[in-house]
Amino acid sequence: MPTNTNLKTQTNLETNIEEIRRQTCYSDDLIIRKVRVGADSYPIKIALLYFDALSDEQLIYQFILEPLMQESVSMEGRQQSELPELMMDSILAVGQISKFDSLDSAVQSLMKGCVVVIVDGYTEGFIIPMAGWEQRAVAEPTNQTVIRGPKEAFTENIHVNIALIRRIVKSPNLVMKSRTIGTMSQTNVSVMYMEGLADKDVYEEVFRRLDSIEIDAVLESGYIEEFIQDETFTIFPTIINTERPDAIAASLLEGRVAILIDGTPHVLLVPSLFVQFFQAAEDYYHRADISTIIRGLRYFALFIATLVPALYIAITTYHQEMIPTQLLISLAAQREGVPFPAFVEAIIMEATYEILREAGVRMPRAVGQAVSIVGTLVIGQAAVEAGIISASMIIVVSITAISSYVIPEFDMSIAVRISRFFFMGLAAAFGMFGIFIGIVAILLHLTSLRSFGVPYMSPVGPFNFGDQKDVILRVTQRKMNKRPSMFGKLNPFRQPNPRRWKRT
Amino acid sequence: MKVSMKRCAVMLIVVFLLLPLTGCWDRRELNELAIAVGLGIDKVGERYRVTAQVVQPSEVATSKGSAGYSTPVTTYRASGVTIFEAIRKMTTISPRKIYAAHLRVVVIGEELAREGIAEALDLLSRDYELRMDFYVIVAKETKAEDLLELLTPLDKIPASKIYNSIQVSEKAWAPVSAVTLDMFIRDYESKGKNPVLSGIKATGNEEKGKQKSNVEKLQPDARLRNNGLAVFRYDKLIGWLSEEQSKGYNYIVNRVKSTVGHVPCPSGDGNIALEIIHSKSRMKTEVRNGKPKLTVDLRVEENVGEVMCQADLTEKSVIDALEREAEQSLRDIIERTIKTGQEKFHCDFFGFGEALHRSNLRVWKQMENDWEEHFVDASITVNAKVVIKRTGTVDNSFIVDKER
Repeated sequence: MPTNTNLKTQTNLETNIEEIRRQTCYSDDLIIRKVRVGADSYPIKIALLYFDALSDEQLIYQFILEPLMQESVSMEGRQQSELPELMMDSILAVGQISKFDSLDSAVQSLMKGCVVVIVDGYTEGFIIPMAGWEQRAVAEPTNQTVIRGPKEAFTENIHVNIALIRRIVKSPNLVMKSRTIGTMSQTNVSVMYMEGLADKDVYEEVFRRLDSIEIDAVLESGYIEEFIQDETFTIFPTIINTERPDAIAASLLEGRVAILIDGTPHVLLVPSLFVQFFQAAEDYYHRADISTIIRGLRYFALFIATLVPALYIAITTYHQEMIPTQLLISLAAQREGVPFPAFVEAIIMEATYEILREAGVRMPRAVGQAVSIVGTLVIGQAAVEAGIISASMIIVVSITAISSYVIPEFDMSIAVRISRFFFMGLAAAFGMFGIFIGIVAILLHLTSLRSFGVPYMSPVGPFNFGDQKDVILRVTQRKMNKRPSMFGKLNPFRQPNPRRWKRT
Repeated sequence: MKVSMKRCAVMLIVVFLLLPLTGCWDRRELNELAIAVGLGIDKVGERYRVTAQVVQPSEVATSKGSAGYSTPVTTYRASGVTIFEAIRKMTTISPRKIYAAHLRVVVIGEELAREGIAEALDLLSRDYELRMDFYVIVAKETKAEDLLELLTPLDKIPASKIYNSIQVSEKAWAPVSAVTLDMFIRDYESKGKNPVLSGIKATGNEEKGKQKSNVEKLQPDARLRNNGLAVFRYDKLIGWLSEEQSKGYNYIVNRVKSTVGHVPCPSGDGNIALEIIHSKSRMKTEVRNGKPKLTVDLRVEENVGEVMCQADLTEKSVIDALEREAEQSLRDIIERTIKTGQEKFHCDFFGFGEALHRSNLRVWKQMENDWEEHFVDASITVNAKVVIKRTGTVDNSFIVDKER
């Protein structure tokens, strides 16, 4: 690996080219195009350097090469030394252009798809951003789909992503600050927040944590998330990631901070609270009453997904007196001849289901049919008919499995599934008593968490009455005239009265 | 990073140390339980003979296709000096331990009931496994074990048949009283009230009733029938109330939810059935000149349910006459019932003593030790008020003049 020498640009063109080639290890995809401008009497050699496929060649031909070559006629009668100024001022038809005098910065720009222009006899060159490569178009979100609401999702290109956000929030107060993280990947990481809404402590903390990252490459937002989260010793996510620009815009307007990472459609949001993992973007697009009911359903599903297998184990092995007699007899009939204790039965089924789920994500699409057939047969029928698993356990496992996907954020749904096993173990060993000990332990743990200084369980614990408008309830837009006090302290009022017309 | 590793390790150690320490000791899988739904207690000599009616779940749950392999319940019998011993002894013949939390009924043989049942019921009130929601009943003229071995149609589990039929009959027909163990114990301990229990009787051929063929027939060989109330003095059975007296008893203690009675037609050539839809009664006991006066205030709402004669129900006077008639018949029933208590049993199982206790503590203190003597001498007043609310979907019956 060539050492970083911090070389100044030389006057000799060939020396400069040679140095750039040396620093890029003589890679074959470094394109060097030499042109001759000016009159025949005093020709000046100019070299364009760029990486094949990183820069848009069409644009280079049109806006750099063509003007340079045609302008050579009008160079007559001018001083040779005027050339660089002339090029910048009136020849090169490009927007962003900057000078450089260090070969290192030239090489770095090359790696990002810029065109480097070096003029023979001058120590200054130009860097022209001409990045252009094949990329995915803005498409519908695949993980956070909605029935009603915008159907745009972020892409892998950070510039597109920023544009998607700015197109929603057309405010000059929307700040974007960039960092480059990753010694090798040189990944562009942008932080966005609303000046005057976001807490200064929070975004400065974001910068502080981002700046302290030392890593060779950032390939996905998950890398950054792990480095900046408050608590690593937890299964609960303390940073939300989303692929929805509307969700990001809404959060920015609440006073939260978004972190965009080049190369991934997943944008991070801080601070993130427990209750926010149960809020879907769509909650705000449907009528308030519908959203409130659906949100209630989600919390109910959370209860099912964490506790139902544990409750089933606890009640059928310790507290049979809690089951109504008819149900007890029917459950007992199903268990006749089942060789395993209820706990083992539950673990087998839950594990089988988790394997199927993972296989469903990981398998090549072409074999999907095979997996689903095997899954249905194994889980649904064969296990029961063979008498290895009781039918009621299948019902319990299925309802839990479905319920965990009601939670809008996948990270949280994984956390819920892990805690389910924790509760099942406690239920098998200690019955209901164990489950309640487990609930207390999890609640204590949750309340101890912080996300960028904000208590994870707020506004439930610490309780804030005003913020209950958007926790389990989703009150009407008319009543949502204040920002959540956890983030929006600086400017608590969105507007005093959103609906000013009077009913006549 | 270092801190979290340490915490992780500590937590793992704690969890793994906890698991072998405790837990699981009282764990029982559903298929390790013998779910007892009925418990019969008899006395043979000096030993108690206990019969447990245990569900065979796979025979009861309908989804399994093994129907017909065996009976829906089976019984285990064992005897011992104490009931607890007898129940535990059942493990010598049963593959599973008796699990009594879902007990529906405890049946007591009439013989034991006449000897006294307090000793037999202590286990049931003491054991943590039992709930208090089962009914205590007396097997009329038979042993408890014979009653628990009859198979019943419609409800596959005989004990739950008994439970449900007591419940339904109490709600819709009245001469039955669903008495749970705690109610019995409370009445037993009270000086102002003696307990009653419901009675169940087996009718038909008992031997054939114990076979599966009993439920395969349209008309079973043997049936279980709710049969009036058993009157106790303290814990000893002293006699039975007839159906009418049982109904009267429930009117007095305000336990009638709905029932049907009849009064003769005003024209005198048929009957009119009246459905009681609401009944509210209050007992009062006053003492005048050292003699107690028992008062029952009864307010009943009724519907005309069936008219078997020509009566003009659109006339208010006819309805009024019916109401008076119904009041008279209620008064008669109640007075006869109290008289039975005074003259036949010499025993206050209604709770007039408690009523006195509530209203006049000073007098009660003087009378409580020989209350039964005072009760027997007491005068009776019944104030019945009947209101007829509705006459069904027609006014007058389609029955025309019978002379035609």
